[in-house]
Amino acid sequence: MFDRRGQIRIIESFLAIAVVFSAVLVSVTFPSAPDLSKQESLASIGTQALIKLDTNGMLGNLILEQLWADIKTALDVLLPVGVSFNLTIYDEIGHAVNSEVIQNSNLLGQEAVSAQYVCSTRSQTVHFFVARLQLAWMS
Amino acid sequence: MRQRANSGQILLIAAFIMASLLLSAQIYILEVGKTSEEVELNSLSDLISSIQLGSRNVVIGSLANISNGGASDTLGLNLEKWASLIGDQYLYGKNILNYTLRNTAPYSLGVWLDWGVNGRGFSSAYANFFHRLLGREANVDQSYLVNITTTLLITSTNRRLSENTRQVNVTINVLNEAEPAVARQITIYYMVSNNWLTPDETNNYILLNYGNGTCLASFIAAFPTESVEVSAHIVDHRGIYVQANATSTEI
Repeated sequence: MFDRRGQIRIIESFLAIAVVFSAVLVSVTFPSAPDLSKQESLASIGTQALIKLDTNGMLGNLILEQLWADIKTALDVLLPVGVSFNLTIYDEIGHAVNSEVIQNSNLLGQEAVSAQYVCSTRSQTVHFFVARLQLAWMS
Repeated sequence: MRQRANSGQILLIAAFIMASLLLSAQIYILEVGKTSEEVELNSLSDLISSIQLGSRNVVIGSLANISNGGASDTLGLNLEKWASLIGDQYLYGKNILNYTLRNTAPYSLGVWLDWGVNGRGFSSAYANFFHRLLGREANVDQSYLVNITTTLLITSTNRRLSENTRQVNVTINVLNEAEPAVARQITIYYMVSNNWLTPDETNNYILLNYGNGTCLASFIAAFPTESVEVSAHIVDHRGIYVQANATSTEI
């Protein structure tokens, strides 16, 4: 009788261990939530790149002079290596103004974030633009 | 009796496991919340910086326009458009941008142009802004001002070479917001018989740009009277025009 009670305790302890391990396994294998902070910081990196580009009114001038390749080159320099981007420039009434695609690689199928930046030119006739920058970490 | 005691142990273990899972879930939520809050603050800071930078660009462009002969209400009209565009964008929430143009002397409609005869010229614009963000995570009220001033300081000396001929030196200092700045274009004039003339190569005209906001212009010209009046007209690297006149001192 005494031995059987001991056996039950052992079975109970094994059972408890099994429950704990199964809980650990479930938590490890449970699909992790998307890393939102990483995505949002990527949007912030994008906005900061546009702010740097616009500091001396350079972004507005490049848009006015339609130097799309120069904008792409500047973003290539300002954004970290391993970031894909696609920039679209809209005028005040929402029409896309860039006649060429401003991107370093295709974002199709990638988890992209978007940063929106409103800019004005320093030219004598002030123009306003909205820049929408889509970014993704290269997979 | 024994069965009840055993089931109690199982219940305790199960309760312990559940408590652990609940606690770990809670800690995870807190950690994720902390990171998002940090990222959100960075994003708000970027937004505020970008709006301030845009406001500054609008003021610079408007002053360039007005100082080059544009209408005096250009600054107000451009800022109205800018504020309206900001209000139309849903950037982290509803944005409201209000502005006030400085109207106390010497400013009028936010602009002050003083191209004096005492060797000093000023082209300046001044506006106060109030930005309110009614955000998803937080409300932000931010006041800032934009004061753009291009200052031109000139001094001149001249040396008599013959009865009517003099060598004139003009020292030009350009300042942006009281800091030395580069001029994109400099034109020197001198007055003869109430006409402003520009020196050229026939006057041995030399313009030395020291690259630190200081330039030295030198030329030789004939002056029928004792008085030597000079004038400098400059456009700074932002496109803002300013001029100043001075009487040259004989040395």
